[in-house]
Amino acid sequence: MTPPVRIAQLSCGPEYSGIQHEIDAAAREVGGEIFFPDVALKDIRRDFDKFGLDVRSPDLKLTIARAMALVEGRVEADAVFIATCFRCAEAAIVRNELRRYIHENSKLPVVSYSFTERTTSGTLLTRMEALTTIARRRALLARETQQGITLGVDSGSATTKAVVMKDNRIIGTGWQPTIEVIKSAQEVIAHALQEAGITRDEVQAVGTTGYGRFLVGREIHADLIQEELTVNSKGAVYLANRQHGPATVIDIGGMDNKAISVMDGIPGVFTMGGICAGASGRFLEMTAKRLGVDITELGPLSMKGIGGRVPMNSYCIVFGTQSLVNALAAGSTREDVAAAACHSVAEQVFEQQLQEVDIKEPVIMVGGTSLIEGLVFAMGELLQTKIVVPPYSQYIGAVGSALLVSGFIKDD
Amino acid sequence: MTEYAPTHVGTVTKYVVVESFDVTPADLALHAYEISQGAMIKETCFGIVINGKEEEVDRIIAELRKIDPDHIFVKDRGFPPGDARRCRANLGGARPGYNGMEHEMTIIPYISHGLEELKNHDENSIPAPENPMEHKALDIYKLKKLIDAQES
Amino acid sequence: MVKVFIYPATSLILSDMVARFGHTPLSSATAIRERIQTAGLESAPLQITPDEPKKGLKWAAVEVPAGVRGRMSLYGPMIGECEAAIIINDADLAFGCMGCARTNELIKFLIHQKEIPKLELYYPKNEEEGVKFVAAIKRFLTELGASK
Repeated sequence: MTPPVRIAQLSCGPEYSGIQHEIDAAAREVGGEIFFPDVALKDIRRDFDKFGLDVRSPDLKLTIARAMALVEGRVEADAVFIATCFRCAEAAIVRNELRRYIHENSKLPVVSYSFTERTTSGTLLTRMEALTTIARRRALLARETQQGITLGVDSGSATTKAVVMKDNRIIGTGWQPTIEVIKSAQEVIAHALQEAGITRDEVQAVGTTGYGRFLVGREIHADLIQEELTVNSKGAVYLANRQHGPATVIDIGGMDNKAISVMDGIPGVFTMGGICAGASGRFLEMTAKRLGVDITELGPLSMKGIGGRVPMNSYCIVFGTQSLVNALAAGSTREDVAAAACHSVAEQVFEQQLQEVDIKEPVIMVGGTSLIEGLVFAMGELLQTKIVVPPYSQYIGAVGSALLVSGFIKDD
Repeated sequence: MTEYAPTHVGTVTKYVVVESFDVTPADLALHAYEISQGAMIKETCFGIVINGKEEEVDRIIAELRKIDPDHIFVKDRGFPPGDARRCRANLGGARPGYNGMEHEMTIIPYISHGLEELKNHDENSIPAPENPMEHKALDIYKLKKLIDAQES
Repeated sequence: MVKVFIYPATSLILSDMVARFGHTPLSSATAIRERIQTAGLESAPLQITPDEPKKGLKWAAVEVPAGVRGRMSLYGPMIGECEAAIIINDADLAFGCMGCARTNELIKFLIHQKEIPKLELYYPKNEEEGVKFVAAIKRFLTELGASK
């Protein structure tokens, strides 16, 4: 049996919020094991002073000392999970600084999370899976070229995508809204195979990712079922041809958003989430509907407008929609409203998530929303950089999956 | 959600900590074993942990305290001895409470000293310690002295 | 016997002093014991379930972090129950149950609000202060016993 991946927990509050067992359960489910780095009082005193962040909470001091024990190699771990209470400013500062400190001074993959008493193992699962994958499958993630004939399926919350790849080229694609998870997957697969002119039997290996990865993976006998954080990172740097060095991957999805700091194609720090659909592709879909345009037309429309003319804050999708309706009623142009909606979504992601990762160029935007040029433009403005949108960016998960699974092709 | 079935219901667990030149945790454990009538005794690096019915635990503790009253200290513990949920072997590191105890162990010698002194002195004859609630302003003459010292 | 809330509630020194001089210390351990000896839903390690932060709403509003409210569900009832309190004011290395500064501020505030006998101290830093510390506690606890 493979030994469990040792995930060091740096935290303040989960035991008292009643969710420690949820963290343990999520780790166990993906072959991980949570542990608390052992430090003595003298270490806490010394390391707390040395780190220099003068917080009041003793458990945060302990957390700082535990982080330093990991970075200095006094305690060994495969990955780090940082968790503090949602809405605690003191802990948020520590969480951010420790995440940055560990990322800059060690090779340990880190995920940070702010929890409430409602946090469940289900919410944590994808993050934990990514941590264990990075720790356990470095060899697999090192793959830079696709070989043979492979199929990748991304069963997302909003859309299902499939690609067929052959000898490092994409030769077939399929895309449709996710309705019935398995049925949608079968249909996009059929489309991709038909476009590629390949039969299912000719496919040498199959990979799945996205929310429906387990269900679809079992149904189509996938060789690799992998969460979307590592798969999308891999897919992004592969498609953008930035496989070496640092990169930042932003994926504004239908249900949640991912922001990932990548080094040589392997995620170092990542966040996943978003407080409300107001910060997701869903809000843009609603905007398009309200403006009477297809989602594919929203991008060009927004590029003709000036977002600053319309006050819009989609922190909450209901309030966002309200601003949208009010702006139109007050006579704002559709172009300005479209631009404001794009800006608002970009701003939410910027404020809520991009603060949790280190932004290093190139910044690569992927996922269906990366095709909305107004959104990419708004993000570029906020980050003061030119955003890279690689070809096939909407198929990112499927491409990443097809690329990685070629490592599973059995030699005849 | 799994149902939780508690164990050790109706019992108490207490730490008996010893910080002494004369008595070791092993001495304490040995004596506790001798006088225990069914309570569970476990030796630790600070002393021992006793679990059992409250009266029995208190009886043993009263006896143990007699060995070296000024150097034996007692506190409650939520978990029974060796509970996997608090065990260092399972957690990978010490439970947070351990570090807190480590901190107080550095102060315990002063407490022992205080207890020893109070055997010979009435507590009412000893001046009160500094009261954290009283924020005394710096005496003006003391301030002048400090300024003079800096200037000289 | 008087129920004395001790701060830090995890303190070995205060727990010992209160019991040694004849009273009942109200500490974190007794609150945790109550939870781990009560049947219910499994919630390792402390048997604090997500319901506890909801119970904590009695002492802190919903925008207060879950960890504060969960801890308050341990300490709130004890603060209600206590008849006296001893507070060490420089307890900045008490972890776990006392590991959150915001909770600790709230606990101290609620104790200060309550009209009960209180003794405020610092940890002793030398033998001389140790004598004053123990004498003050003994005096306080003896007077409590006499008034009872």
